[in-house]
Amino acid sequence: MASRWIERTDLGQGASHEGFLRHKRFRWLKVALLLSIAAVAGYAMIDVQPRHNGGSWYGYTLGTIGALLILWLTVLGIRKRAMTRGRWSLKGWTSAHVYLGLSLIVIGTLHTGFQFGWNVHTLAYGLMMLVIASGIYGISVYATLPKQLSDNSAGFTRPQLIDAVQKLDRQLQVAAQPLGVADTGLVLISLDDDPFRGGALRRLSGSYPNCRTARALAALRQRSASTSGPQADAAEAVVKLLERKCAILARIRQQMRIRALLEVWLYVHVPVTFALIAALAAHIVSVFFYW
Amino acid sequence: MAFLLRQISRSAEGREIVRPSRIEADRLTIGRDPECDVHLTDLAVALRHATVERSGASRLDVTAEGGLTLELNGRKVSSGRIELGTGGDIRIASHILRFMPTPAGSDEIAVDVERVTEGEVKLSKGDERMFSLASRMPSKRAAAWLLSILVLGLFLAWPIKAYYDRQNEQAIARKFHADEMWSSGSLSRGHAQLADNCEACHVKPFEAVRDQSCKACHTKVHDHANPFRLARARPDLDRWGKVKLAFQETFDIPPGRCVECHTEHEGKREMPVTAQRFCSDCHQSLKSKLPDTPLPDAGDFGTSHPEFRPAVLTRWNGARPMMQRVSLAEKPRENSGLKFPHALHLSKTNGVAQMARRLSGEHGFGQSLACADCHDGDPSGTRFEPVNMEEDCAMCHSLAFDRQGGTVRTLRHGEPAQVIADLRDFYRASPVAPPPNLGGIARRRPGEVMEARTRIQFTRGAGNPGRAAQAIRAVFSPGGACYDCHAVEARGPMDFRIRPVAFPVRYLHKGWFDHRPHQTETCESCHKAGASNSASDLLIPNLASCRTCHGGENARAEVPSSCAMCHDYHMDGGAPSMLIRQRVRGKKRDTTIAAAAPRGRGGGGNGR
Repeated sequence: MASRWIERTDLGQGASHEGFLRHKRFRWLKVALLLSIAAVAGYAMIDVQPRHNGGSWYGYTLGTIGALLILWLTVLGIRKRAMTRGRWSLKGWTSAHVYLGLSLIVIGTLHTGFQFGWNVHTLAYGLMMLVIASGIYGISVYATLPKQLSDNSAGFTRPQLIDAVQKLDRQLQVAAQPLGVADTGLVLISLDDDPFRGGALRRLSGSYPNCRTARALAALRQRSASTSGPQADAAEAVVKLLERKCAILARIRQQMRIRALLEVWLYVHVPVTFALIAALAAHIVSVFFYW
Repeated sequence: MAFLLRQISRSAEGREIVRPSRIEADRLTIGRDPECDVHLTDLAVALRHATVERSGASRLDVTAEGGLTLELNGRKVSSGRIELGTGGDIRIASHILRFMPTPAGSDEIAVDVERVTEGEVKLSKGDERMFSLASRMPSKRAAAWLLSILVLGLFLAWPIKAYYDRQNEQAIARKFHADEMWSSGSLSRGHAQLADNCEACHVKPFEAVRDQSCKACHTKVHDHANPFRLARARPDLDRWGKVKLAFQETFDIPPGRCVECHTEHEGKREMPVTAQRFCSDCHQSLKSKLPDTPLPDAGDFGTSHPEFRPAVLTRWNGARPMMQRVSLAEKPRENSGLKFPHALHLSKTNGVAQMARRLSGEHGFGQSLACADCHDGDPSGTRFEPVNMEEDCAMCHSLAFDRQGGTVRTLRHGEPAQVIADLRDFYRASPVAPPPNLGGIARRRPGEVMEARTRIQFTRGAGNPGRAAQAIRAVFSPGGACYDCHAVEARGPMDFRIRPVAFPVRYLHKGWFDHRPHQTETCESCHKAGASNSASDLLIPNLASCRTCHGGENARAEVPSSCAMCHDYHMDGGAPSMLIRQRVRGKKRDTTIAAAAPRGRGGGGNGR
């Protein structure tokens, strides 16, 4: 789903595909730039007395534009559920969402008049910047990570990866039969392992220092050095299987890590957007309440 | 003696599959080793895990291998026994062995072996969605709701509640009120004590701050001008101005409120300096709006400021000095009533300079007289005290005429009738002519010529029968002690009057000038006293003189000066508030913070 939006024009699929960033020759980038430049020029040229702040007429103007923009940008959450073509295609809408969202950095900052404090007004500003920052992150990972994701899978689909783990587990069951209970205990540790174990942070970091399979492998290697007889062959087979399982697990975890990096921004972008709208409401009501 | 084993497993559909077998032995070995009688493939089972042995007619002994355990009838043990009459269960890892109740003495013992956790699959292909972070995160929708409600509760509902709590508070509590989170910035230093008292200014919710709130405390600030004239003087609204006005009316904001200039919540600082445009918007073309105004149009100090119009003492109404505001362009003359050539006194070479050197030990003069020898600043340093005969002139211009022992008699300054009386008395009491010194009645003026003249005057008086009358006339005549400085009116043969003398202490009443910050300049760089031969020369520097350093607000002059440097919107007699604020902040320009002089007073104190 992520890669759907990314540039493919270079990949020989013909000029018909144009990413949302390049949509209509950067039409919305131009609109957003124009809007930002106009806002900066106005800020520089309009002599507001006694100084620029959110309460001057120019400040109110920028604030109104900014608030309406925020509401419109939020509507993408509903709009995206309907894929359409044409003048107001979803792609065009997304393009506008990205570039107009970026222009909010300029409009919002100028609206503050660079006056910040520990209050509801700066809270709204901070939340807005957080939403924009997560959006920028989202765009940047959408541009780079999908390629990594497909490189990493090496042709395996996700069900195939799960299948591989299951097969290895079955083979381990069989191969470990001749082993003594001390060794099979180690194998069981690996068999009991859930490849999807670990919370969000572990997924994002991709580091699993307590991987049970890796632990079992290390311990079995140590033990198999001192084993002899028919058990030694079985132990060797089990070690090889565990090594393969480790490799597959690493691939699965890398897949999960890239997926997590691709998806995590939305867990900031979406909830904080609603917090922002709430803060915006409080900001506006407070201004008129103590008018 | 035999064990009848029934290995039970289940097909994918749940159908039971039973593989029976018979083991002819008293002893049953259980383990993962294929050689065991009961072969369990579970890796948690040891190769040889346990043995079950018949130890009597109705009893089985169960023994786990060294160190291992098993579950016998639900209890974890390393050994135990099963009564055949009741049967029993052995559980090892995922397998369960059910020993069926067997009548005592029976040869066959039925045992069901079943893998109880078989079919438990940890992974399935449907677990593909486990790759997504969504499997490890709370739902976005729930987080959105939670955050929104949190923000609305903390930053909207709580402050509104705080507003209504304040209404019910008897005294303004210094505790935290949630509506402080709405404050866009600290109040200015002057209003800092109102920080906990929002309603002091924000009286009603959703109503913009009104001037009444300001005037509740600021009772003494007067309007800039008559409000009606002020409204008429405002420049015409352009289209944009009309739009702004329409907005203000829509949102119920009265125009021209105090807070338009005195903005608040801008941090702990003073009001920003009033921009020049604030004044020039109206004053640049005031005449066109208010044709009857006496004020000339004024804009940028460097380019469109009218010539100064000081209040000059131009004439006298009897003994009352009459002040008149005259433009310096008209070169007004001042009629102080005194004769005083500044040039003569400031010369570096003439007799005055010689005398200054002679008296330097006594009065601290330099090589010649300087301005400060006669002019004393007032205590604040803003302006100068009026010149005073006894302190400032008499250092050189003595009125001594007689010495009796160690006592020197002087003519009474400011009382001509007394002078006449004293002189008459002197000549009556001393028939012998020569007074003790040449300075006698004459001013002790330096130089040979002056001494000779005084001697002649004296001789004239002493040599004639009516010598007292002569001496009196001489004092009030050209060359006489009074005449040279004062205007003398001779009303009769022996009736002389002195015209009154007055000096204004402040010439510019509508603008502020402070001498102290100008101390880096010499007096004569602004006041051309060295070239003035008459006391009627008005030595107030003109606009051009000020413009050598001061320019308009945005000028490249040495001192860019907005209107607020000399004028005040809410003007009183004191320093403009901008200068005071800057002084209080210990910054930039120095000025005097003195109590405002009562307004409308023309002249200053009278010198004699």
